[in-house]
Amino acid sequence: MTDIHFYLLIGVGLWALGLHGLLVARYALRRIIAINVMGNGVFMVMVTLANRGDTADPVLHALVVTGLVVAVSATAFALRLASADGKSDSPEQDHQPARPLSDRDKS
Amino acid sequence: MTYALISFLLPLATALIMLLTGSRSAWLLVLATGGSLVAGVLALMDVMSGGSQMLHLGGWPEPLAIRFHLMPVSALLLTFTALVHLLVALYAARSQHSHTERNDYWPLSALLQASLGALWLSSDLFNWYVTLELLGLIAVALVALSGPKAYRPALNYLLLSLAGSLSYLLGVALLYGQYGVLDINLLAEVITDDPTTRVALVLMTVGLMVKGALWPLHLWLPHAHASAPTAVSALLSALVVKGPLFILWLLWSELAPQTMQYPVGMVMAVAGVLALLAGGWASFRAPYIKSVVAYSTVAQLGYALLALGLLMQWGDRDLSVALWLFVIAHALAKVSMFLAAGEMQATLGSKRVSALQGATETLPVAMFAFAVAGGSLIGLPPSGGFTAKWVLLQPIFENPAYWPWAVGIFVGTLMSAAYVFRVVALAFERANPTPADFAPDKVAQWLALLPALLVWGMALFSQSLIVWLTGVTA
Repeated sequence: MTDIHFYLLIGVGLWALGLHGLLVARYALRRIIAINVMGNGVFMVMVTLANRGDTADPVLHALVVTGLVVAVSATAFALRLASADGKSDSPEQDHQPARPLSDRDKS
Repeated sequence: MTYALISFLLPLATALIMLLTGSRSAWLLVLATGGSLVAGVLALMDVMSGGSQMLHLGGWPEPLAIRFHLMPVSALLLTFTALVHLLVALYAARSQHSHTERNDYWPLSALLQASLGALWLSSDLFNWYVTLELLGLIAVALVALSGPKAYRPALNYLLLSLAGSLSYLLGVALLYGQYGVLDINLLAEVITDDPTTRVALVLMTVGLMVKGALWPLHLWLPHAHASAPTAVSALLSALVVKGPLFILWLLWSELAPQTMQYPVGMVMAVAGVLALLAGGWASFRAPYIKSVVAYSTVAQLGYALLALGLLMQWGDRDLSVALWLFVIAHALAKVSMFLAAGEMQATLGSKRVSALQGATETLPVAMFAFAVAGGSLIGLPPSGGFTAKWVLLQPIFENPAYWPWAVGIFVGTLMSAAYVFRVVALAFERANPTPADFAPDKVAQWLALLPALLVWGMALFSQSLIVWLTGVTA
């Protein structure tokens, strides 16, 4: 088994682990982390494949950079949605938003 | 190509202007989609006379280039996307019940149109990944517009959509590792049938099926589409799920090795028939008006999946025509159905199907729109849905050995008739109609009816449409 195969296997393993986590986990935060594990698996496969020739393949590196941008923005969006959903769940917090605003007025 | 670029850049520019200036003007969007529609029609005429065109972005040479490929089908879809956006924008601008007044619906729907345009024009695997992600993120943001109750379905949609994209991306990485190209025309020349290619294609197909809500990977769709604001539901059902379908179609009709076509085509065609049955049944049993319409999308996508599966099994290119006719007919009918359902639900003040009792009296035009759109979904002649089904049935009529598929289509038709007539029959029970909470809005109801009239209007030029599509997809 060459180095490339070793890293490819780890990448695919991470992807599968992430998918499993996404399907099994119930909490939003865990599922978001699982998605990121999946994404890192794919990026690892891509970085490893970039190394398959004598020189590194710049196209795959460029794809990984693009993929990272997408992953970061999607994660931020998912976290915002998850926290908003968590807040809308607990009824006692529905009365809260008025307070921080008035606090800010005083200071 | 210039017109196609205008058609796709105009909504993008509009979205950026809205985001920068803080304007949420509905009429700005209507103007932009109108302009985009005109540019789309010009691009379509250009392609019809001059054939496919390529554009190398940034002028880079072949292997490094990201190409835009304007095919007749992509020009048609570009125009059609603009048309659907225009129809929905007119309704959203007029109706008080669309939850779109002065909010982020306007820039987001413009962005949605731009990313769909980019998807139709792209022809390389990674560009599709980017456009799919754009489409997914914007669609989720649009679902979340309807407030805290939609956050959970929106989050679920986002996570599953991301998982689908990552499955697709892993497939893309494997294919690139094997062949070193991403452009699908270049890839089609070098692709061979080996285990890596097979795994990659299956991963990509599964990812796209999740994003396209193709049965059995549709579970996110009913909740997301039913909880979105009405205008958004219409756009999601009509257009967003068709993006992945377009990629699947190109992937399997242009790229995939022959030996894989038959088994995967069989799985897809069976999944398509099961989608018709399961989606139809769920729609028939659904307690809420918008769930009926959302599950009907799951069922109707079964026809498209069936057409694609049979196309792959038999290698009969005419079935591409059936696939795209289904897409167009379903999109128009579904826009009408969602807008009518949303308008009735808001005016009657209840989400339940039972509230539609006597709706032919309280909201005659909206109910008429629902029934007429339903007629096209069932496939009553001479609607667009009938034309599509007719083309799909042609090879089955010609070859008696294919009869089991005809049974599948027949049962699917009965199911669609069941869920449409369940609603329509209830609406005719005028003895004790549900009173309206708001004064019914005539103009909004007519705007909801407009797409349904267009889908029946397809009958007027169905012959030439079939001939043209056969010419360009074969």
